[in-house]
Amino acid sequence: MNVSRNASVPALRVANLRKRYGSFTAVDGISLEVEQGDFFGFLGPNGAGKTTTINAIVGLATLTSGSIEIFGHDSVRDWREARRCVGLAPQEYNFDRYLSIRDVLIYQAGYYGLRGPAVRARADQLLERFGLTSKSKETFMRLSGGMKRRLSLARALIHEPRLLILDEPTAGVDVELRIELWALLRELNAAGTTIILTTHYLEEAEALCRNIAIIESGRIAAMESTAKLLARRGQTTLSVTVERPIGTLPPALAALGAHFEAGGRSLHFENVAPAHVARTLSELEAQGYSIENVDFHRSSLQDVFLDLVKR
Amino acid sequence: MDVWGFRNPVGLATLIKRELVRTYKVINQVVWPPVITTILYVLVFGLGLGSRVQNVQGVSYAAYLIPGLIMLQVIDQTYGESSSSVFQGRFMSSIQELLVSPLSAAEIVTGFILAAVLRALAIALLILAVGFVMVHTLPQNWFLYFGMTVLVSALFGGIGIIFGLLAEKFDHIAVFTTFVITPLVFVGGVFTSMQFLPPLVRRLSLFNPMFYMIDAFRYAFTGRSDVPLGLSVGIVAVLAALAVGTALRMTAVGYKLRV
Repeated sequence: MNVSRNASVPALRVANLRKRYGSFTAVDGISLEVEQGDFFGFLGPNGAGKTTTINAIVGLATLTSGSIEIFGHDSVRDWREARRCVGLAPQEYNFDRYLSIRDVLIYQAGYYGLRGPAVRARADQLLERFGLTSKSKETFMRLSGGMKRRLSLARALIHEPRLLILDEPTAGVDVELRIELWALLRELNAAGTTIILTTHYLEEAEALCRNIAIIESGRIAAMESTAKLLARRGQTTLSVTVERPIGTLPPALAALGAHFEAGGRSLHFENVAPAHVARTLSELEAQGYSIENVDFHRSSLQDVFLDLVKR
Repeated sequence: MDVWGFRNPVGLATLIKRELVRTYKVINQVVWPPVITTILYVLVFGLGLGSRVQNVQGVSYAAYLIPGLIMLQVIDQTYGESSSSVFQGRFMSSIQELLVSPLSAAEIVTGFILAAVLRALAIALLILAVGFVMVHTLPQNWFLYFGMTVLVSALFGGIGIIFGLLAEKFDHIAVFTTFVITPLVFVGGVFTSMQFLPPLVRRLSLFNPMFYMIDAFRYAFTGRSDVPLGLSVGIVAVLAALAVGTALRMTAVGYKLRV
């Protein structure tokens, strides 16, 4: 039992997970590890196998083969302990319609074996924190879309899981609430909760996740730190607009890899290291071009993602 | 996987409580109708028509009706409780709240069945009160009264789980009620003793499981039965074990639950 408190044990270890539905293979032998305290993004196009993988982790899907360990607890052999470690906020709402939202939290804690004044206090605390106190006696059907998302997160947290899994947590949520949810997730992660998130919004993964796995057709297409993934695949482009049209490209600038549209006033330099930006600009001035505007664009995770899943 | 284990008593108690809350929220569909229907049956058939019928098994026809009417409602309501709860849970995905939690298949099935038993005991007591007030009848053998109520409600709670898992739409749940429960209960001795039936129908009744439930339950009131008590109780116990076992097996493998 002490195995789960050992910091070197990963929060999640998936080994050769395979899930077949008849002749269709939804997940084709994926392996991944999420360290304790990580903020891990699980990305992929629709139908790539993200939700199937998550369902297998939380026990909503059976495994065709492979194994899953959560804080060292095997999800099949030691399923009770494994499930106690996980809180899930699923993509589709699956709340109990017969209960008030306060009771949704209290009953969910009950299913996890928790009860008493401490649970009720925690439910009230979560409702307060997620701005749901005024609705605590209503059923979830009377909540707005944003409130349902927050309730989903509150329910996932009621039993104080060490691993929080969020399947598309900000789908259909407005910008303001998305920023608010991001802040909450960062706060939880800072307090030590390991978080795994699937999302379609790549800027969300870029903003929140330290490590990312990209899944494509049931296989892992890439798995790296967000920074490395961006650096490895990412492009940087320095775009400079000058005051007068450029006739022919001076050899010195051509040597720096500049390209431009003839007669235009913009020059683009691909993959300029930030350290070389100053040199490039002074070379331009030395060639007699005065600079009107400078733009430095780094390709986003979206570009990397599209590049990866296109192949 | 210790799908059979009982290690989460708080979880089990929470599930039972949740089911009772659900029963309370739909009380006008599941508790009052059986009581009202029973009052109407007793008034029209028992006290109206029944006044022209001679005593059956040593009691008035109205008193003879009460145990059968209790069984009728117990069967109907326990099947309804677990089948609709499981089906709705699947349909609205809310059953996932149980499936991701540390509750074993045995705990989940026990939760639904105990909730069905409690619903049945409450409805049976209400109908019993109606019987006591209207025709002054009470069980002679309380042990048998409670034992049979628990056994029959466990049986139909189990069947309800099975059909709640099999059904693809609400309509499928009703198929079992309409084509199996209702006809078999009505010809199973709610309204009449086997002795009054033609020999062929009498022999066919022996293949009707409802007949044994009603016959044994009525014994708790009249002290008499058409077939030996032990046979009836045995048959009902075997059927209950089969139904609960099948429901357990289906839940343990995650049939239509864990995809």
